[in-house]
Amino acid sequence: MTADAERMTERSERGLCPRNSGPGAPGADGPATRWGGLGEERRSLPPRLVAVDVGSTTVKAVMVEDGKVGWQDYQRHNTRQAEKVVEFLGRMESEAGLTPGRDRVFFTGSGAGFIAPLVGGKLIQEVVAVAACVERLHPDVRFVSEIGGEDMKTIFFTATGTGKSKQVYMQSACSGGTGTFIEKTARKLQVPGERLAEMPYAGMSLHKVSSKCGIFAETDANTLVKTGVPVEEIIASLFEAVVYQNLATLTKGNTPMPEVLLLGGPNLFFRGLQEAWRHHLAKLWAQRKIALPEGREPASLINVPAEALYYACLGCVEIGQNEKPEIGIYLGRDKLTWWVEQGQHEQKAKDGARGLIAGEGDLATFVSEYVRPAPSCAERPSVATSVLVGCDFGSTTAKAVVLSEDRELLFSCYALSKGNPIEDAQSLFRQVREGGFADVAGLALTGYGKDLLKDVLGADVGVVETVAHATAALHFYPDADVICDVGGTDVKIMILRQGTVADFRLNSQCSSGNGAFLQGVAERYNIPLEAYADRAFEAKAMPSLTMGCGVFLQSDIVNQQRKGWSAEEIMAALAAVLPVNVWIYAGQLQNLRSVGRKFVLQGGTHRNMAVVKAQVDFIRGKVPDAEVVLHPYSGEAGAIGAALCAAEWRKGGGASRFRGFDTIAALTYTSTTRAETVCKWCPINCTRTFIDVQLPGAKGRSWSKVPLAEGWERVISGNSCPKGLVEDVNEMRVVKAKLEEVKREYPNVAEMVRKDAFRRVSAAVAR
Amino acid sequence: MGLFGALGIDPRNVVFSSDTSEEQGRQFGKGRGTVDCCYPVKCISGHYGELVFGQKQKLDILFSPMIYTLPSFMSGHVARTLTCPRVMAAPENIKAGFLKEADVFAEAGIKYVTPFVSLDEPPLVPKQLFEGFQGVLPGLTREEMAKAVGEGYQALHAFNDRLRRKSREVLEWCAREDRACLLVLARPYHMDPGIGHEIEVDLQAYGYPILWMQYFPTDPDLMDWAFGEDIRAGFIKSPFDIRDVWPSSYSSNTNEILWGAKVAARIPWIACVVRLSSYECGMDQPTYTPVQQIIERSGTLFFSFQDLDSTKPAGSVKIRVETITHYLEKYAREIIARKKAAMAPGCPLAQR
Repeated sequence: MTADAERMTERSERGLCPRNSGPGAPGADGPATRWGGLGEERRSLPPRLVAVDVGSTTVKAVMVEDGKVGWQDYQRHNTRQAEKVVEFLGRMESEAGLTPGRDRVFFTGSGAGFIAPLVGGKLIQEVVAVAACVERLHPDVRFVSEIGGEDMKTIFFTATGTGKSKQVYMQSACSGGTGTFIEKTARKLQVPGERLAEMPYAGMSLHKVSSKCGIFAETDANTLVKTGVPVEEIIASLFEAVVYQNLATLTKGNTPMPEVLLLGGPNLFFRGLQEAWRHHLAKLWAQRKIALPEGREPASLINVPAEALYYACLGCVEIGQNEKPEIGIYLGRDKLTWWVEQGQHEQKAKDGARGLIAGEGDLATFVSEYVRPAPSCAERPSVATSVLVGCDFGSTTAKAVVLSEDRELLFSCYALSKGNPIEDAQSLFRQVREGGFADVAGLALTGYGKDLLKDVLGADVGVVETVAHATAALHFYPDADVICDVGGTDVKIMILRQGTVADFRLNSQCSSGNGAFLQGVAERYNIPLEAYADRAFEAKAMPSLTMGCGVFLQSDIVNQQRKGWSAEEIMAALAAVLPVNVWIYAGQLQNLRSVGRKFVLQGGTHRNMAVVKAQVDFIRGKVPDAEVVLHPYSGEAGAIGAALCAAEWRKGGGASRFRGFDTIAALTYTSTTRAETVCKWCPINCTRTFIDVQLPGAKGRSWSKVPLAEGWERVISGNSCPKGLVEDVNEMRVVKAKLEEVKREYPNVAEMVRKDAFRRVSAAVAR
Repeated sequence: MGLFGALGIDPRNVVFSSDTSEEQGRQFGKGRGTVDCCYPVKCISGHYGELVFGQKQKLDILFSPMIYTLPSFMSGHVARTLTCPRVMAAPENIKAGFLKEADVFAEAGIKYVTPFVSLDEPPLVPKQLFEGFQGVLPGLTREEMAKAVGEGYQALHAFNDRLRRKSREVLEWCAREDRACLLVLARPYHMDPGIGHEIEVDLQAYGYPILWMQYFPTDPDLMDWAFGEDIRAGFIKSPFDIRDVWPSSYSSNTNEILWGAKVAARIPWIACVVRLSSYECGMDQPTYTPVQQIIERSGTLFFSFQDLDSTKPAGSVKIRVETITHYLEKYAREIIARKKAAMAPGCPLAQR
């Protein structure tokens, strides 16, 4: 026992028996009145059995008296597991007469480990508990799937000579197949909980959603939304993915036999998930020719008991009542209350690092250096003045800025990307026009949409993202060495030399280090993103999180939650780990000193001052003489860079190809998403959408599987890599022919080597 | 082909493994990998496997020499022209994966021939190869092998000369049109589509001719124009002397890469250099900074693609390529003019 724990025991002992003069277990022979006025006869009855299931998102508890459930409840704990348990125990004492020293408590669930001993409870492994309950209540059940918030389990019961053997599989390391997997994406799709619960699976058309990783699934769902797939179908596809993942990873070659029981929150609450299970299991049984009990429909063999949530608790009771009577005697709440109020802080202070802010002075210095009121736009010129427009079509938002010909920022606006780049563009130009601008002398685009929209909008320049960001940074800080752009879904590090982007690191494949993750965690705590920094700065200490994969980070957070770290402390820690993820994990830059000493931070995530503070501390820790600056327009840097490139172009004196506000607003387009538009370049088979826009002079695509008449231009969206922008083999042929022409004119020595070396040149001729 | 042709082997009976590809590695190399940090060396398992299992014809001999030194246009001007030790040892290393459970070569009736060859010392090669093929090609004489090696070198020189001439034509076209070209600095295996991922082809598609340092023209007139001044000033002894930038000139490919950097800095129409290097290449690592500095000092654009392995990072390559072409478009004219002004007049490339 550590010194701390000893101190804790001592202290709680004192707290536990304030009115008890001597040692000895309280209550055994004390006056009846001490137990809240209960009569003497009450205590001669068998003790009540309490079971508490402390899960990753909720706490569930039941109290069984005389073999009947007398009290039960479940509530979300919002990471305050110990607090919620104290509250439940208190209510059981006052509402149902739970009695310390007499009644018995049993604990289960992933968060119960440290709580149980503090109240004298006995810990029972959760799968064992569930299995016990199932055996008691449902003797015919052979397969159980329990899906929790962040884990999933399967239990196979096999009849043997004397009884039943149990085989249990469980996974809690990956988000695929768990409740979080569904909820995370549903939140992103803005589906309210009640609606999610009612959304069906049966009869919906399904789309491919990565079942492996919650983060990828979210991206897939995003893509589907963009291509116009109804939310209902996406949710149905998520249910499909969850069932698939459970069957794929947790059956390990066993066939789930009837009867089947579905347990856990997601299985109980989501009607669609139940339907997905029924569909898949019925299909599986038919395929494997499983004999079903006579006269029973497959669907009737798959049950979701209304009490499903409490099965782990009921199992605890089941097991608990067979334990020796001295096991699990309830000690009262005092120790746990002490832990909530003091113990956890002492424990954490020992484990954790200091907070983001070292003290009042540190915060003041930081604020005076970095926190600035949002810069206001320069005064509007008269409508007649010509302006330059830059647009940044990013993966989640589209932004536009208007610069004067003197390169002053006049206006900026954004549109949340709805997946149809044409609509996004229309929204931006509507706002620009409403801003009072009429004469566009130059238009430049950047971001993924630049190639798609260049002709449609009549842009003069298409600027690659790196160049746009570098131009924006160099405009304000001509001596910048490194730009770190952290956006919602990607991280870019650009290393500048000779005024060019000499090297860059891009991370858009993996969620670690990007802003979306921060946002996701803030949402989970119900904290608006704007309040993130203030809350994170409140933390006096914080846990140290491991850098790396977002999914692991997520489970690390759950882990820290279990240790009792609060929302603000975890948020601080998350901000603190972000620079590590950005520079070392995503950027692979071990030696920051080698890339320079003037760092520019930009990108939407740097609006979060907690992140900026962590970045500044991290960079200065590595490069002591570093100058770290925050771009004044961190979110709009891409669009500003594009507009600056338009200004550059303008110096050449050309007339803008901009099609005009009216033309853009009146663009006629159709979008097509069907089998022919699915991308066939690789096995991912992205569901693409062809958006065809009427555009005078466009060549059309007569060779396409989805032919396009002359005077129409095709914009492809919904692809997840650049390859998907090429429609199919037919287009590849057209593109290749053009490419071959260029290649003939501009030779590549390596191609000659490839043609002749390591080939049987003479043999080929001889054939 | 020159060597085997001269030994009287019908060209149709000489089979090369195909270009490296993920498919090749998956289908033929799986489970036969041996521990090696070098990505190109790892790929060899797939090549061996393809030759052993993937042929319509039955093969008798698998020839994979352990190359100790490489013939280089820099021979005699540098300390040595050694190959990377990993590359030299690769045939022995990769072989292990095919012998672990059973002798796969013997089962397939294939003789595995891995002679140790010092290709940069031509007089030694006939003996080395003769010994390597002893008992494999019955009746082979020393004289036959010596003659065949001679023809092999001739074929190699003819191939090199042809490509150098081609490169010179490209440079002369650039000079005439005042257009930019790109020079790739990489190891020879980066020309393999499965290892270099044809990254330079994406740049070529934007209308830039692509030269590779390996086949850069070495004609005396051009060399004298580029390096004559340095030689007369005593910095270097010959155009292929790199003691001014790389004193420990032992590795053949490394030497050539450093030389390529020097040449790129001097030729005005090379507006940009692209460096390719494979994942964790220990030979390349120490050259990163000197190569970059030599090139950037001349005002030439420099971009590098590092840590290449089995997957082509298509998205990031696309952005990189667009970044490069943006700056080329913006600065190439300026760079060519500045570099021209810095060099002596009378460039032989611009004479015709």
